[in-house]
Amino acid sequence: MGTLVLCGLAGALAVFALTRRRLLLGVIGVGAHSLALAGVYLFLSAPDVALAEASIGFGLVTFIFLLALRRSGRLVVAAVECFPLLYQEGDRPAGLEWEILARLGDRLHREVHVLWVCRGDVSGALASGEAELAAGGFLVRSDPGLRLSRPVVPTRLVEVAVGPGRRVVLAHPCCEALAQSGDLRCEEPEELARALCSGEACRAVLDLLTFRELGLKGAWPEENCAIRVLEDPLAYRFAVALDAAEVHQALEELLAELEDRGVLADLVRRYLG
Amino acid sequence: MKVLGGLGIVGLVVLLVWLTWSCFPLGELPPWEEATAAWGSKNAVAAIVLGARLWDTLFEVLVYALAIAGVALAAGSLGTKAVLPPLPETPLLHLAVALLLGPIGVFGLYVAVSGHLGPGGGFPAGALVGSGLLLLALARGTRGLTPGWAGGAWETGKFAVTGAILLLGLGVLVLGARGEPVLVGLNVLIALEVALGAWVVLREFAHVRGEM
Repeated sequence: MGTLVLCGLAGALAVFALTRRRLLLGVIGVGAHSLALAGVYLFLSAPDVALAEASIGFGLVTFIFLLALRRSGRLVVAAVECFPLLYQEGDRPAGLEWEILARLGDRLHREVHVLWVCRGDVSGALASGEAELAAGGFLVRSDPGLRLSRPVVPTRLVEVAVGPGRRVVLAHPCCEALAQSGDLRCEEPEELARALCSGEACRAVLDLLTFRELGLKGAWPEENCAIRVLEDPLAYRFAVALDAAEVHQALEELLAELEDRGVLADLVRRYLG
Repeated sequence: MKVLGGLGIVGLVVLLVWLTWSCFPLGELPPWEEATAAWGSKNAVAAIVLGARLWDTLFEVLVYALAIAGVALAAGSLGTKAVLPPLPETPLLHLAVALLLGPIGVFGLYVAVSGHLGPGGGFPAGALVGSGLLLLALARGTRGLTPGWAGGAWETGKFAVTGAILLLGLGVLVLGARGEPVLVGLNVLIALEVALGAWVVLREFAHVRGEM
């Protein structure tokens, strides 16, 4: 009877280990499966084999898998909240870029771990090796310290003007390139909208998505607002740390595939309308 | 061509079966209680593996040594691919090593020495000590552990132990020696071989990858 129960348990643990998406749970499942199997051998009067199974299956193999996981099991993404590209829904990440990141994690057999940071901390997180990838409306033309992915979602910069006067610029690297002396800089979109509403500034330069988001929230002083779309086309991309060539290559392949199959266009339609 | 290939495979299988049954007849195995008493053991498995079927064990030892030599040879030709940055220090791992390494070593030795009296033996004991070494390497890094050892010292040690097992085994077979000291000696040597083999493989992999 005990043998049958342990056999069933070993089988159930094997199925558990094989069906986990989180690799750590899979490794724990494999270790527990080995332990249950050692129990089966013990019940079948084979204590020598049980000992070997426990020391190798549960000890050595689990250790080696854990070591491999620790080295390569997690894909840490430095993420900036940017609706609807990447945002938190309850305690889970969601959004267009998240859908791509989840597919990338599956492709690399790594668990995607999102590290929420401020926009200003992204480059630091990538340079220090704390994260391998940055996401969340990443808008930069070129940066020698980063590998940029192919365009994910095309966008433009817009200038919103209430009247002539001081200008406020969103602290995106692309927007900042247009900043002149005397311009205000804002880290957060809400801060920028407040500056415009309070009359602290009369013109604002920001990207299309932030503009749309603030418009949806009703944060603009909509009357007498002149909107000018700047000519230069831009795109939101992912940024990959310089030493993570493998991740960059996998991401490029994935994006190319999604583009070819029309999945990317579907995602853009679904999230951005 | 396919038919010829199929016939060739079937022929090989028939040849193998014929050889197994005619050229290498299985020696008569005494009843296990008798064998256990005759080889001075209480564990029937130890009496069979280290007594009545010692040839099997000696060839298994040889196969293991060849596998390790193969890994060392293949990994040696790969060179160091990348230098990985050291893993962040974790107090948990250091504490685990400090607490567990001693007990693992002692338990491994116990399993090897008492392998003929109860469950255990050289192979599980070696695997246990090998896991302990892996834990140590995980916490301190392989480079930090082997500063004074020349690259080949571990391999030399491993092949010396393999040689010792083969010599002892052949001596036992030729002289017909039996008894507890023979079983304990063989078990301890096999444990040493397995643990050293595990360490050599670990070190070779760490060398190719840059670090653990």
